[in-house]
Amino acid sequence: MGFDVGSVISAVLAGMVPRAMPALLAATGENVDEIGGILNLGVEGIMLMGCITAFLVDYATGSILLGFVAAGGVGMLFSFFHGVASITLRADQVVSGTAIWFIGWGLSGVLYVAAFGFSASPVKINTLASVSIPYLSGLPIVGQLIFGESPVFYLALVLIGGIQYFLYHTKPGLNLRTVGEDPRVAEMMGVNPIRYRYGALLFGGLLAGIGGAYITLVIVGSFDYDMTAGIGFVAVALVLFGKWRPWRVFIGALVFGGIYVLYLTLETALPSLPYQFLEMWPYLATLGFIVVVGKRANPPAALAKPYDRGE
Amino acid sequence: MIVLFRVPPLSGISALFSTGFGGYQQFAETMVISTPLLIMAVGLSIPFSAKFWNIGGQGQYILGSIVSTWIGLQIVGTLPPFLVILVALLVAFLAGAVWAIPPTLMKLYLGTSEIITTLMMNFLAVFLLNFLVLGPLEGPGARAFHVPSSAPIPQADMLPGILPGTGVTLGFVLALLIAGLLFVVLNRTRFGYEIRLIGQSPDAARYAGVSINRSIMVSMAASGGLAGVAGMVQVFGSTGVLLPQVFSDITTSFGYVGIPVALIASLNPAAITLSSLFFGGILNGAYGMELLYGIPVDVVISVYGLIMLFSLLGLSIDLGKVMNRLRRVR
Repeated sequence: MGFDVGSVISAVLAGMVPRAMPALLAATGENVDEIGGILNLGVEGIMLMGCITAFLVDYATGSILLGFVAAGGVGMLFSFFHGVASITLRADQVVSGTAIWFIGWGLSGVLYVAAFGFSASPVKINTLASVSIPYLSGLPIVGQLIFGESPVFYLALVLIGGIQYFLYHTKPGLNLRTVGEDPRVAEMMGVNPIRYRYGALLFGGLLAGIGGAYITLVIVGSFDYDMTAGIGFVAVALVLFGKWRPWRVFIGALVFGGIYVLYLTLETALPSLPYQFLEMWPYLATLGFIVVVGKRANPPAALAKPYDRGE
Repeated sequence: MIVLFRVPPLSGISALFSTGFGGYQQFAETMVISTPLLIMAVGLSIPFSAKFWNIGGQGQYILGSIVSTWIGLQIVGTLPPFLVILVALLVAFLAGAVWAIPPTLMKLYLGTSEIITTLMMNFLAVFLLNFLVLGPLEGPGARAFHVPSSAPIPQADMLPGILPGTGVTLGFVLALLIAGLLFVVLNRTRFGYEIRLIGQSPDAARYAGVSINRSIMVSMAASGGLAGVAGMVQVFGSTGVLLPQVFSDITTSFGYVGIPVALIASLNPAAITLSSLFFGGILNGAYGMELLYGIPVDVVISVYGLIMLFSLLGLSIDLGKVMNRLRRVR
């Protein structure tokens, strides 16, 4: 089998960050949701809505920034629906999340057909160019990996640091963690659990929407029906893998991105292997991840439990 | 959503209902679509009653269809048709159950979220199916028709039709029988009581001496098995061949659609019979809307989601009020 191991490795290193970004953004958002005690299984649907919103806005206005902003807004709107059902009305979060997933799944495809009809050739839009930091990106291997990414990556790094700091070194962060562990205690501390949960959920929706937008605006440049193909659920799995720690989620997302690129690379390097087995890889790896850490995972105690203020 | 396509909403909706429920032929087609849906949703209602979320119905369905087609094609001609169907049913049940077991074990012994693991198993199943249909199981000459598929199940070995002039088969009767059986099991047996107790309060179940692990294993095996049977019924009652799947194509996603069907009916098998006809009718009607007005059939999955969401809102608001009123009346 004639393929160059070195070139595969450098392809994986160069491609892992962009491929990791959608799952990373969504997983970071989901992490904040879950710290506050809300399980949002609608991420997949919210990401799809992010994909289509960003695509349509970019197509109509030509502005990539507006695309991201609109996708984030739609993400917040959809997570707000989840909030109304699961926080205010205390419905089952699994059911409500599934409903959000279904709505986004169908609606994203329908919006595309509404705008462009059943066209056989996909409509393309401009994608965000990556920013190469001069000099540093010329370094071998590490240069491309760290200094040749799209601006969103650098923002994400800041974001993860910020969230880590917020959750573990600030008063509101402590409050949010308390809400996720025991809302009753939080209430006694004078914290309004409902407000905190809505805040966390909207933030998570914002990131999931942007994560979806990243797929269309940075990676693909076109929209495809159900194009997230389970990345929203991978994001939920990454939160489990990361044991609710933002920096661990970050590492998990990078590993996932690496595995994803590995399959894309091997697909071209080893055409003799049935491609379906390579396509299985990211999902099999996700399963493997959460099995490995599953035993020692320690979720927020009030996760997915509705809170009744007893009014 | 209909308005998006510049179609008057009323005519869009009337197209949906006339194609879905409008006459003998149309309703028969709805019954055909509802058959696997009913078996699937009734199966899902078992672990759902224990608040164990089997999102993997789609994967178990695919495994059931693969194994029953494969075994079926091996034994056609050597056994009489009713035995072929019986064997196919049995292996489909086993295959679906086997596919449901790893995520269940992971949850029970490692504590991994069953939602994620069952869902990942769906993706693995899709790839396995496509590999087999485009490879070892591909029927001779199937590619000549542009759609790759397995070799066809001979007409004689298909589930026999029961309504003349329509595609409704014995599978529908089977689905009704399964729903009836599970109505009894869930409402009238110790097992049914135990899994509902687990769903309401695992602690209470433990104090009551319920073996939680065993009950969950049994309910997941049954659920996976029935999903597998749904897959078999689809092949032996409707398509006649094993077809490759695109990810989450709504028209083949009985495993996902079964979730709202079961939930809307409050997990009651008798009510699921009606809700599966209702959801099947919407799907059937959506085909009509697509043909008449160019509204993509995918619109239904959003509609299902909206129905779920509104029923959640409705249930928590209205049921509360209704219960209070009832109490006052007493």
